[in-house]
This record gives sequence, structure tokens and C-alpha cells, in this order.
Amino acid sequence: MTTAAQRKTDIGPPSYEQFLPPVIKQNYGRWKYHEILRPGVMVHVARSGDKLYTVRAASSRLMGIERIRRFADLADKYCGGYLRFTSRHNVEFLLTDQSKIEPLIADLARLGHPVGGMGNAISAIVHTQGWVHCHSAATDASGVVKAVMDDLHEYFVERKLPAKLRVALACCLNMCGAVHCSDIAILGVHRRPPRVQGGLKRICEIPNVIASCPTAAIRPATVNGEPTVEIDEANCMFCANCFSVCPALPLADPLNDGISIWVGGKVSNARSEPTFSKLAIPFIPNNPPRWPEVVTSIRRIVEVWAKGARPFERMGEFIERIGWPRFFQEAGIEFRKEHIDDYRYAGLSYKRSAQLRH
Amino acid sequence: MAQSGNNGTPLLDELEKGPWPSFVTQIKEQAAKNAMCKDLLALLERSYREKVGHWKHGGIVGVLGYGGGVIGRYNDLPEEYPHIAHFHTMRVNMPSGWFYTSASLRTICDIWERHGSGLTNMHGSTGDIILLGTTTDQLEPAFRELTEAGFDLGGSGSAVRTPSCCVGPARCEWACYDTLHLTNDLTHTFQDELHRPAFPYKFKFKCSGCPNDCVAAIARADMSIIGTWRDDIKIDQAEVRAAAQAGLDIHRDVCARCPTQCMEWDGNTLAIDDANCVKCMHCINAMPKALAPGDDRGATILLGSKAPIVQGAQLSAVLVPFVKLEPPYRELKDLVQRIWDFWCENGKNRERVGELVQRVGLGNFLEAIGVEPLPEMLAYPRDNPYVFYEEYLEAEGDEGAAEPAAQ
Amino acid sequence: MAVTSETVADAMYAMIAEYQGKKKLKATDLTKAMIEKFGEAECDRQVCKAAIRTLIDSGKCVYTYFGGSYIELPHAEGAAQG
Repeated sequence: MTTAAQRKTDIGPPSYEQFLPPVIKQNYGRWKYHEILRPGVMVHVARSGDKLYTVRAASSRLMGIERIRRFADLADKYCGGYLRFTSRHNVEFLLTDQSKIEPLIADLARLGHPVGGMGNAISAIVHTQGWVHCHSAATDASGVVKAVMDDLHEYFVERKLPAKLRVALACCLNMCGAVHCSDIAILGVHRRPPRVQGGLKRICEIPNVIASCPTAAIRPATVNGEPTVEIDEANCMFCANCFSVCPALPLADPLNDGISIWVGGKVSNARSEPTFSKLAIPFIPNNPPRWPEVVTSIRRIVEVWAKGARPFERMGEFIERIGWPRFFQEAGIEFRKEHIDDYRYAGLSYKRSAQLRH
Repeated sequence: MAQSGNNGTPLLDELEKGPWPSFVTQIKEQAAKNAMCKDLLALLERSYREKVGHWKHGGIVGVLGYGGGVIGRYNDLPEEYPHIAHFHTMRVNMPSGWFYTSASLRTICDIWERHGSGLTNMHGSTGDIILLGTTTDQLEPAFRELTEAGFDLGGSGSAVRTPSCCVGPARCEWACYDTLHLTNDLTHTFQDELHRPAFPYKFKFKCSGCPNDCVAAIARADMSIIGTWRDDIKIDQAEVRAAAQAGLDIHRDVCARCPTQCMEWDGNTLAIDDANCVKCMHCINAMPKALAPGDDRGATILLGSKAPIVQGAQLSAVLVPFVKLEPPYRELKDLVQRIWDFWCENGKNRERVGELVQRVGLGNFLEAIGVEPLPEMLAYPRDNPYVFYEEYLEAEGDEGAAEPAAQ
Repeated sequence: MAVTSETVADAMYAMIAEYQGKKKLKATDLTKAMIEKFGEAECDRQVCKAAIRTLIDSGKCVYTYFGGSYIELPHAEGAAQG
């Protein structure tokens, strides 16, 4: 390979320093405090007295280059060409001239990007690829997110929630992203065991496939004289781990794929320790294009929390206080066998006291 | 040819309605000038109709010399959707903190206009710039242009994944160490481990500047580096009083919400028993003008978080309660190397570090990587009496003592 | 005294060729096998790393991904065939 020598490799990402606006370079590490001035707009004040205004706008995460170029144009027009993105797919414009905030927001509105997601609000939903590009998706990602955020839009552009609300969606149990520690997690689930395809041995290594199963539900088998595997369906919990290792074991199924809803997780250390989200609704069938049952369920959960929570109480802290039985009752969620854990350490989730509300 | 554009996209069109930015509009905008996006729109409409995805995972495509950064994708109906028969993703390592200039974004857009679908994610879950959809023959040319422009690919596979961080000292008064500098430094230090998969499975670094953990390090990084401090919270009493006057109920909403009840407010002065403060950030979040982290700043290093696949989800657990983090971060990198050595030697295929620790036990793991066990590593000490003592005493001349039991 | 990375690369290549289609090998599998074959005094992880790089950069082997990363002989992508 003669070209190998001329190629550049291992150069790593460009240094962030070249992308920092002058006001940040001058006040790097010397910020004093910040204030949210209005939904989606905050000011950081440096010890020097310098001020940096941030305008946070929603994006669709999946964006064409034309839209990114429009963002670049806005950065040129209002921010000396500087902008950033957040860990939740929002775009942030970094201004030093307060008088430019209003015209920037107006331009963003014309482009269809609401400003908000700061403080006691819902921020944009972190999500995965779904049917747009994923091989193991049990639901779409972008479509569900669009439908849910259309509905919860008021909570993005205003600050009327008791605390922040972090929602995330993963289209299968692989969970690209921190779905499992969100106030509300929307999780795509398969419910039909993998169907073993003919010729499995030609694509997959059988010992590897067997080893991939966390519950030992895959066994060697022989079909028509050819080595393959069989699935002990009673022991399958639909993690799709085998499918990641072996494409000849598809699980996707229109009738059985859908969405589960999990609540009460958080990653922040504020007040209570970081914790996983817990199962609220085991299964809602996929109902594209707008998943109305998912949208309604989530709104109900949000409203139960918004109405009952004390200031600063995140979803999980609120539920801990009122107790899960009352949460299920108020959210109108039917309690089912699936809510009871039966995997490792399941016993730790059993109620081991007589402290109950009657 | 796919029938895209002919029979329309009635289901997807429903997702152009409503106030939230529409991804469908984005795909349509690109479909007007890119055949790949036209096919993608048609295939996605089909998925919406059939309620099932149509993608297959590739395992081989990439750029020469790298084992990561490209995710192979093929659709399962290539005859009908030929322009996206191959539709691979390129992960491009973002700059720390996701800062850009308009010029740098336009450069990436121009490259992706020449060599791909023109669709992106800003950004993927790990943090990379996701260039969504191109054909195998365009991978090398796109890679060449990206590196010419100063960008490189991110990680995938059994390798270091693209490290990411919060906005840090660039725009946050709470940053307890320089998250951007550390992230950039680790990324450059471990380029080989990022591009050439040599581990049992993936390894993620995430750097949050304070315990608010804005990049969810504790939930999704094998090594979670979370800023904290050791000295006293800084108090501006005048600003505390101003916050009270502005309507904050300091007793109810600050003191009573403190997890260790280490604060008292007498209506005039806020007193903090800092020895009992666990650095949760609540009071500081509630009064950003009045309170701030102390000056003796550093980080807590936690290990092992992951999503459910394979053995179940985990949160990271404390490995180093406090460390000063200053360049060249030698102590941290030595620790990382010792962890990797043990993991490469003992990890099973697709076993994350957190799962390995569960399997061998934290005590044995600490011994192997040469870290002293500390009470800070536990929520509470064991409550089960089945202790595997490794040695026992024998009285001198105790000829009759039984041989140590066989293992 | 120490074995060269070229020698290790040749031995790795032979092993990969032998297992091709039967068992996918990871970088850690190859490294452990080579240290066992040549002995710890002769061969270490750095030499193995260099050997893998030689195999990959020359195009004799490729990285593959099937739920985890492996090193294999170049072959057609299964998923690419309709």
C-alpha cells in the first residue's frame, strides 16, 4: 500500500482552543456566576465583569448540511462565528452583545428552532437512530421524540416545572446513551425470541453465539444434518445480545416490538445519589407515525409529577416520597407481573419493611 | 429504482407538523438534491408502514489501518433502494466541549456534500459528529479530506471510544478541573487505542467538571471523571440574603434538601458544616450567585458504568475518592494503563471493565491494579459473613494441623 | 535477543489463516498466543501490537466487528449481499 505513507492518521480531534470565542479565552476558568434571564437564555458573568450570553435552541439531531450551514450563518451574523452544541443535541449561540439576543431568537423561530430547555424545563430528548439507520431497533427514535416533544413543547419553552426534566430514548436494550438513568426513559423492546435462520453456521460461530446469551437460553442443535442453535424461549429476555454477535438470529417483529417507559432515574449528585430509572409501563405497541399512546402516557407522568412535586424535586425524588403504589395510581398505570424484577439481585427491589401507606 | 417521491410519504409527512424541529423536513431538504436521501425517505416510510427496520449491520468496512470510526450499514432491500444499498456511518471525533467556528462547520458540511448523503447527527450519543450514510468507495476520500481539514475519526468496536466532556471552565464557574483539556489530552494520548481495537470490549471516558455530571459520566463511562473539591464551599452572605429576599425559601428549599443536613440558616447567616458536606451541588445550584465550590479542586474517579448489554446495567463506583488533575495527568494515565493490562489479561470477550470487577470482586481487582481499598469505595461494608480469608495462622510446631484446604 | 515484530506478524498471520471461518480472533487472543509461543523473554505486548499494525497496514488482515472487534483475513462483507 504505497498510499499509506502519504495518508494522515492518528491526528486526533482539532484542539478546542481554536474554536473558543475571545470572551471565553479571556475568561477561561474565571467565571463567577450565571443567571437564567429567560427560557433558553443565560448569562455567565466573569470575575473580570465580562458577560457571555448563551441562547440555547432545539435541533432535530438528525440534520442536513443545509441546516448546519444556516446555523453557521447565524453564528456569523450574531456571534462572531462562534457556536457550540450541548450533550443533548441543542445548539448554543454564544453572544457578547445583549441587544442581539432578540433578533437571533426571531431568526431561530423563522427557521423553526424553539429556544428553551434551561433550568426547570424539559431539555431536548437524547436519542438513538431507530429505523432511520439501526439494525437492532425495536422502534423508531426520531419519530417518537418528535411526537413527544411536540406535545411537551410548552415545558421546553417555559420554566414551569418543579425541577429539570431529562428524557431519553433508546430504540433497543443496547441503549446508546444514558437512557437508564433518566427522569423518563423511552426504551424500545423486542418481545419475540430470535428466529434461527437457515445457514446460521455459515455466518456465525456457534460457540460465540451460545456464550453471548446472559441466561444460557441458546443451545447447540442439529437441523437437517447441519450444526446450528436452538432457543430455549422460556429463558429469553429479549436483550438481542445474540443478534449483535450473529445476524442470523433476528428478533425484530412488527407485532411484538414496541416501547417501554421507565421513570425516576438521574445522573446528577444533587440531593439524592445517581440512580437507575425504574419500569413504569412495560409495553406499548408501536403506533407510527405519532405513537399517541406513548405521548399520552408521558404527558400524564409529567403532569402527575409537575402537580405533586415540591420545588427542586426530580421525578425519582418525588416518587420516592409519595411511594410507588401511589405513583402508579395517580399516573393511571396498571401494575403487572412484569414490574417485578426477576434477574440478578432482584430481591434487592422487594419491599423489605412494613412501612406502607394504607 | 425506489418509488420514492412517486407514491409520497403520507406517514412521515405527519411528522412535519407541530412546533418541534422535524427530522423529516431535514431528510426531505437533502432528498431534493441527493439520491441517497430520496431512497432513505422511501425506506423509512416503508418502515413506518411495516413497523420494522430494514438495516443490516456490516462488520468489515473501514478506512485503511483503522479498526473503528466507520459503522457498516446495508439495507435488506437493495434492489428496491439501490442508492442506500451501502449506507455507512462515519464517526468524526468532535472538538472537546462541542465548540465550533462557523468556518469549521462549513468545512465538514462541504466534505460531506462531496462524499456522503449530507445527513448528520449533531451529535451521536457518545459525542462524535455523525456523518450518516455513504458508500464504501467514498470512505477513503472522505477520510482524506477530513484529515486534511484537521479532523480524525472517532472510536468504535472493542476500543477506546471518543472521550467527551461538559463545557467545563470554558463557560462554567463550577468546573473543578479543566474537562476540555483533559479530554483532549486523553484523546490524543490514546489515539492508537482508539483507532486499533485491542480490548475485550469498548472503553469509554467521560469528564464532568462537577457532581452535576452534565455528560452523564456516572451512567455511561467505563471511567467516569467527576470534578469535586475538598475545602469549604465559598459563601457570599450578602448574596445569600439577596436570594432570600428574592423569594427563595432557604430553610425549606436549601437546608432541608441537603442530604447530610449540614446547613443552617438563621435568617441572616448561612452556616455550613463543611466536614459533613458530600459535595452534592444542591445548595450551589439553588444559589449560584451566593455559593461556589471551594478552591482545593480536583476530581473523583469512578469505574465501571455501562448499559445493560451483556450482564446488566451498572453505575460507576468510586475508585479514587479525590485526585488533583493537572497536566500531564501521569498518575491518572498510569492507573488507566494498569486497569487495561488487567482487563486485557483477564477479560472475557465482550466483558466491560465493570463486569470484570463484578466477576473477580472489587477487592481482588484493587489488589491486581495496585490500589489500596478504602471505605469511600463502598456504600456500606459487607453484610454477608462468607468471607474468603486467604491465610490463617498456625501455632508454632503445630505438626498435627491440617493442610490448608485445597482450593 | 527478542523476536522481531515481522516474525510475530508471520506467526499471527498463520494462526489467523488457520482459524479463518472457524473462530474469530481478537487482538488479545493473538497477543496471548504469541507470548505463549515465543515465551515472555522473547515476546511482549508491544511487539504484538507492532505485529498487528504491520498486518493491518499492509492489508494482509483487516479489523472486523461482530458485536466485538476481531482480526481476520480480508473477505467479502456478508451483509452486503442483498
